[in-house]
Amino acid sequence: MPIVIFELPDGTQRKVTAGSGTVLMQAAVSNGVDGIVAECGGNASCATCHVYVDERHGELVGPPNDVEDEMLDFTAAERRPTSRLSCQVQVSDALDGLVVHIPEEQV
Amino acid sequence: MSALTAAAPGAPVVDLDLAELRDDPYPAYAELRRTAPLAWVPSVGRHLLTRYEDIVHAEKLPEVFSSREKGSLLLRTVGPNLLREDDPEHRRLRAAAEPPTRPRQVRDLWAGAFERNAHALLDRIAGRGEADLIGDFAEPLAAANLAVVLGLRNASADDISDWSRAMMAANGNYADDPDIWLRAEGATRAIEEAVAEMAETARREPDGSVISSMVHAAEPVTLAEIQNNIKVIIGGGVNEPRDVFGVGAQALLRRPAVLDRVRADPGLWKRVFEETARWISPIGMYPRQLTQDYEIAGVGLPAGSRVALVIASGNRDESVFERADEFDIDRPQRPHLAFGGGPHFCMGAWVARHEVSALAWPLVFSRLKGLRLAEGAEDCTEGWVFRGLTSLNVTWQTS
Ligand code: FES
Repeated sequence: MPIVIFELPDGTQRKVTAGSGTVLMQAAVSNGVDGIVAECGGNASCATCHVYVDERHGELVGPPNDVEDEMLDFTAAERRPTSRLSCQVQVSDALDGLVVHIPEEQV
Repeated sequence: MSALTAAAPGAPVVDLDLAELRDDPYPAYAELRRTAPLAWVPSVGRHLLTRYEDIVHAEKLPEVFSSREKGSLLLRTVGPNLLREDDPEHRRLRAAAEPPTRPRQVRDLWAGAFERNAHALLDRIAGRGEADLIGDFAEPLAAANLAVVLGLRNASADDISDWSRAMMAANGNYADDPDIWLRAEGATRAIEEAVAEMAETARREPDGSVISSMVHAAEPVTLAEIQNNIKVIIGGGVNEPRDVFGVGAQALLRRPAVLDRVRADPGLWKRVFEETARWISPIGMYPRQLTQDYEIAGVGLPAGSRVALVIASGNRDESVFERADEFDIDRPQRPHLAFGGGPHFCMGAWVARHEVSALAWPLVFSRLKGLRLAEGAEDCTEGWVFRGLTSLNVTWQTS
């Protein structure tokens, strides 16, 4: 199963094992990674599971879907070109070693 | 599964007086959090779950804490609807109804109408120098805005308000008063007719509204489903923006220094909104029913147990929010529970944020100069299932 790394705003890293077929948000929440709030439980309605995909992995993860793209305009922390909602990122073996950065605020 | 209408074995039983809860539920909640975070409360007929962490835990387990509560008054009032469904049924209905409530649609499609509605109401009262900001402004505004988003161009704001009130009374009709049922039936019939007419129009001319979105949904939705879900949205959609507006406006009028800061830095209205929703949550609790045996807060609940997630209490949990009883827009940002969580996360959240914090508060405080609480006005905050101000009497200068 792929390992993904969540980097907190203070620079500390959390390595977690993510189940293939789940989404990145679940990997964070089920491992108690701070800073992923995910109020709506993964329905792209709340914009509180925002992450910045590390520059090196942008291609791998790909662009946001339409609904997500709109929601990303309303995140608490600024939107950047690498912004994604972690509940919309499907985990696959290809993502092994992925690094994502958690923004300062989600609410 | 049938609902268990008694305490689970081992659950502490705590008697709470409903009139006291209506008056001010917060002291009772604080006591429950401290001594019995899951307690059977006979007058409510449910186990009250009152700590933040436990509520969040339950919200994230919809397959255990089901929304399909048997015999609920809401079901009797409006029929099957998305609030009382679990996925995948819930997901289909929500996907059909939700697009018009997303933040970009709110900004692009509805914000202009919301602003016109607010100005029109303020035009009516501006010259008077005094008003009840709930009855004269917040309620008719919430109702008019709701008509816009739903696509009910054939209903007036007064219709929407009346329907909402009739249904809300029925949802709380534990005393089984026949007059209340009768009024609610009148309201729901009127809504069914209005929705049928607008659904027909939307079929020919899509207009981006909730009705239109449901008519054209990818996964088909029947007319009866559209009607029932519009009833639910009208039931709750007036109260919540109205109540958050009222509570927040009163909080600021009582704290002139905070108000000055917010006027100088309009970016703070967003903080005021979230803190108001945390401090006095418009929805105080909602019911769930267990699909299986499950232990929470140290009590083993059997399948079928009825639980109330008391989000108003979770939002005052001192282990999460320091000095939780104080209204403080500078507190560290922690997620509050006012919009619920998980798949049922409030569909109106983005609509309410925009209409209240981006429009209604800034407009009221800029157009009504020298706004203040009316001399001797009493605090009219009440309710526990739903909590808000029944009136907010204010005065201002008219010259
Ligand atoms: S969990 Fe709500 S948008 Fe991702």
